[in-house]
Amino acid sequence: MVRYIIALVLGTSLVAVDARAESWVGADPAVAAVAQGAPTDVTELERQIQSLTKEVEKLKDEMSRQAGATGAEPDVTELERQIQVLAAEVERLRSGETQTEGVTEDQARALGLAPSAATLYGRDRGVSIAGYGEMLYERYSSEDESGALTGSGAQADFLRAILYVGYRFNDKFLFNSEIEIEHADEVSVEFAYIDYLATESLGIRGGMLLLPMGLVNEFHEPNVFIGARRPETEQAIIPTTSRENGLGVHGSASRLVYRAYVVNGLNGSAFSAGGIRGGRQKGSRALADNLAFTGRFDVTPTPGVFLGASLYSGGSGQGQVTVDGQSYDVRTTIVDVHAQAQIRGLDVRGLYARSWIDDAAALNQYLDLEGSDGVAEEMAGGYVQVGYNVLSLVASTRVSLLPYYRWERVDTQAKMPAGYERGGATLRTLNTIGVELKPIPNVVLKLDYQIITNDGETGRNQLNLDLGYAF
Amino acid sequence: MVLLTVAALCSPVVAGDLLTREEALAACYPGAAIEAQRVFLTADQLEKVAALSGSEVPSALVARYVARTTDAVVGRAYVDTHVVRTKRESLLISLTPDGRVRRIDVTAFLEPREYLASEPWRAQYRDRELNDDLGLQRAIRPIAGATLTAHATNAAVRRVLAIDRVLARAGEGP
Repeated sequence: MVRYIIALVLGTSLVAVDARAESWVGADPAVAAVAQGAPTDVTELERQIQSLTKEVEKLKDEMSRQAGATGAEPDVTELERQIQVLAAEVERLRSGETQTEGVTEDQARALGLAPSAATLYGRDRGVSIAGYGEMLYERYSSEDESGALTGSGAQADFLRAILYVGYRFNDKFLFNSEIEIEHADEVSVEFAYIDYLATESLGIRGGMLLLPMGLVNEFHEPNVFIGARRPETEQAIIPTTSRENGLGVHGSASRLVYRAYVVNGLNGSAFSAGGIRGGRQKGSRALADNLAFTGRFDVTPTPGVFLGASLYSGGSGQGQVTVDGQSYDVRTTIVDVHAQAQIRGLDVRGLYARSWIDDAAALNQYLDLEGSDGVAEEMAGGYVQVGYNVLSLVASTRVSLLPYYRWERVDTQAKMPAGYERGGATLRTLNTIGVELKPIPNVVLKLDYQIITNDGETGRNQLNLDLGYAF
Repeated sequence: MVLLTVAALCSPVVAGDLLTREEALAACYPGAAIEAQRVFLTADQLEKVAALSGSEVPSALVARYVARTTDAVVGRAYVDTHVVRTKRESLLISLTPDGRVRRIDVTAFLEPREYLASEPWRAQYRDRELNDDLGLQRAIRPIAGATLTAHATNAAVRRVLAIDRVLARAGEGP
């Protein structure tokens, strides 16, 4: 197209343009390539248009000198206008706002394309890749809170390396997934779902879904949550990371955000005195005799502040828990309320969660658990944490240095079924004090010390160092 | 069912609606005549914008819109295109005549919609000018679950304000 423009304006032939392109427009091979119609990407096109503009200015000067001798005024107005048109088209192309029309079936047949190949000619689409990961070093105290020697040492673990892969089919359908490698050698799918954006405020989602609970289960990149280790409540009561297979809806309306799914239930056969974490099936050949409902809503009254609640409820018996010929559902219900405020450098978060396990006595009989080893009827936990980015007071830096403190109490045996008693170690209190450094928003280094006590006086303090990244 | 009922009862104004540039300009400058311009920043201007904004300037080609009534210029708007996570977003950032943010509209967002910044969040930028306080964990609060969107938007706003200031000082403003 540029060749035609230049030929038209200067009244010469395309052959002459091609033959003289290099010397004609100067020593810039890229500009010559544009004159000869060579393909290039958007960024390169922008650069070339800028070069063309400069060349036009040189041309005007040259023509002015020549016109000075003849008395005629040079006119490159049309060329300048057409360059502006080109620049406008390039800028629109870059913006992502322009959408090419998809290929129809007839057109695909005419082009000899199979359906998959034809999609390459459609609307803006493509693969999106992101990820996060963290390495955790834990050093345990050599004695517990009673003074007894524990003989324990330290552990360094590449806790997780995650790859997000997403694919946008078109404006309505997309695929999103997270593949996780935990402890450097355990591979799993953390979520994988198809999203259909029915309207601006309603989407339909199906696949392996993160349960929409708590503050960490869905948003667990290391640069997002405070603390080297996730809160105990969000490991034992809300068993992060919880994901199961299911189907549901999600969306937002004004200041409200919501998600609601039906998923396969937990597997109660794997519950223990330590909580329900073992009952996660993680979508892998999951028993689905019992399904569960899970949902949450959050309200953002002002930017940076939100509060909400979530619910999980469903059977965990999965047709397996039978005692004396009777089958038990083991309905499991988890409720949490949470709030978070991030205002200037201040970061305050709090959460309370409680769970109820029906038929806990029958489950314990089925699992042959006795005394304090039994699964509880009720579990509860909660935490409050506060941090402040002290460098937010320094105007010119993007580095974040955030000291923090978390108080937490967790009881995985808050109430036991008749005939069972609490173990001392299941009620624990954690005081965590630490600091996190983010040299850039995507990289975080966290160092904290946890003072851990329990009713059985077997708590062990520990020092934690976590290096995390997200992109 | 309860959640769906609550959602249905809420305001019909939905967070994260996309507008075309034309719709956004008409909403921001009602009744004004809009002139579209393509500005090429010089190397010197690029350096000044990068220094003022604190971020890279990905392109010297800037799309600018000037809104005029019969009496005066009532505002300028710029389109900033940038990558959020791995996909692009375009924002139309509309300014007042004295270079403060008037409104931010999203004209393209190619990431999953859950990462789109809501209108109430973008409204934090109203009437802001370019200074050291214009940043996350300062005058601007973050977005839970969309950190990269928040950073990308903030960088874009700072960049546009810097471009407007540099062009005004160079006498290339309307």
